[in-house]
Amino acid sequence: MVAERESGRLKEASQKRVLDEASRKRRARKALEALEQDNFHDDPHADLVMSKKVPKFQETLENKKKRSKRTQEWFKMRFRKNFAQLLEESRSYRPDSPNYQSALAPPSKLPDRHFCAVCGFPSSYTCVQCGARYCSVRCLGTHQDTRCLKWTA
Amino acid sequence: MSGKPFFVLDNGAYTLKLGKTSEEKPKLIPNAIMKAKSERRRLFVGSDIDECRDASGLYYILPFQKGYLINWDTEKTIWDHAFSKNCCPVSFPDTPLVFTEPLFNFQPLQEGANEIFFEEYDCCHLLRINSVDLSQIKYQSEHPDSKACLVIDCGYSFTHVVPYVLGKRKSDLIRRIEVGGKLLTNHLKDIISYRQLHVMDETYVMNQVKEDACFVAQEFMTSMAEAQRKGPANSILKEYVLPDFTSIRRGYLRDPKSEPEESVQLLRLNNERFSVPELLFHPSDIGLPQMGLAELIMHVINECQEDIQPHLLRNLVLTGGSTMFPGFEQRLMKDLRALAPCEYQIKITMPSDPIGYAWQGGKVLSTNAKALKEKFVSKQQYEEHGHTICAEKFDI
Ligand SMILES: [Zn+2]
Ligand SMILES: [Zn+2]
Repeated sequence: MVAERESGRLKEASQKRVLDEASRKRRARKALEALEQDNFHDDPHADLVMSKKVPKFQETLENKKKRSKRTQEWFKMRFRKNFAQLLEESRSYRPDSPNYQSALAPPSKLPDRHFCAVCGFPSSYTCVQCGARYCSVRCLGTHQDTRCLKWTA
Repeated sequence: MSGKPFFVLDNGAYTLKLGKTSEEKPKLIPNAIMKAKSERRRLFVGSDIDECRDASGLYYILPFQKGYLINWDTEKTIWDHAFSKNCCPVSFPDTPLVFTEPLFNFQPLQEGANEIFFEEYDCCHLLRINSVDLSQIKYQSEHPDSKACLVIDCGYSFTHVVPYVLGKRKSDLIRRIEVGGKLLTNHLKDIISYRQLHVMDETYVMNQVKEDACFVAQEFMTSMAEAQRKGPANSILKEYVLPDFTSIRRGYLRDPKSEPEESVQLLRLNNERFSVPELLFHPSDIGLPQMGLAELIMHVINECQEDIQPHLLRNLVLTGGSTMFPGFEQRLMKDLRALAPCEYQIKITMPSDPIGYAWQGGKVLSTNAKALKEKFVSKQQYEEHGHTICAEKFDI
């Protein structure tokens, strides 16, 4: 009984918290960025690198003599720019259309469609606290218990 | 020089398509180095992964980021392996190389490629070209009378709509949707992990689930309604038997069984099967503020000169692995039909091998006696003029 009342009160307290617009946008952006990730777990054998201990595949090449010209360190030095840096730099030598930026598709003119954040079916309701969509009381419950304000993004 | 084959390397972010033009089709090699939980002593470079017995929890090291070649030491390791005796041996000092790069490739990356191929691999002749240009060459060879063509390339990193008029690429009209195979697989992992089973570490397996189970809905809302039904009225609901890497090497889709078995691990797939590829047609479904494929194609065509528009609509060609979902071509046709002026004919070409299509364009190029002289840069020219001559000759 006590526990129930406690959790009821906790629920009431959390219901008063509402995520502001900026946090909602940040959350949405983070979710999209995560879709770019290559791995979601840690390297299982971080000590295993492309090093001299690993069989050198270059040695199977017929033109062996070329091998030692460029070392891995050279590669790291020569190509040390990440995507964001390359893009930033390109603004100076390719500032005008057509370029990477100008090629981005414009926003759709069609109305947005909304799907339940839990089950993926069409949804007609919006969670007051975080703005996520849901389709039913059941899915709202799952949403509140799992995601809603639980991410502290 | 006549009749001498080229070596074509269509350097995709996910798959290398490579081989001599004397071959019928390219060899496909994963453009990745992978680490397996079960094998702590070895790296799996490119095609090595075929030898990996347990592909659960594979860790990926990828040379590409957001569709561009960023990690060159990784890429060089994969290339060395790909060009080696057991894979696709080639002697660059006497074989001209056709190498593909992404649209709007960054200048330092273009120069890096010149250096690696001329100085490291000792290439005698190099042609760097966009893979969509090779696709256009292939299409033109099959449709010699076409005045224009629109290449729709759905790859791993993104999707491009690229118009050509009289063989010339209209670069200012190229548009990109930031949805490709990688995003689709990651989205599928996301929703399955939240709804039923943690699969975030299983990119390799979930990519196969995507390939085996997903399709493009013809009427999205109708399929949604069907997926909400129970029993035989729902033909979309299926089970996916996950591989265990002992008795099941690759998972498979099957009809739902009433009695659950203890021995196999299952995913229950319902609206996931079509809401994932749907993102190509409606990126806004996950909050990406970009036009979907059909809307974008019409947008690009409407930007073109009016007299060329019907030619583009009659010459649409699909390339890239993400066009291979069942129903893709039909849905695109249906959406375009609804948007395009009804007096215009629409014709979509879906190649039998949309992944190897650009490579086939390289093969067509090798039959053109003038190509080597006109399009390639020789090692001697590079030694004399450096990056300048490459920048002049290559239209990236
Ligand atoms: Zn729901
Ligand atoms: Zn919420």
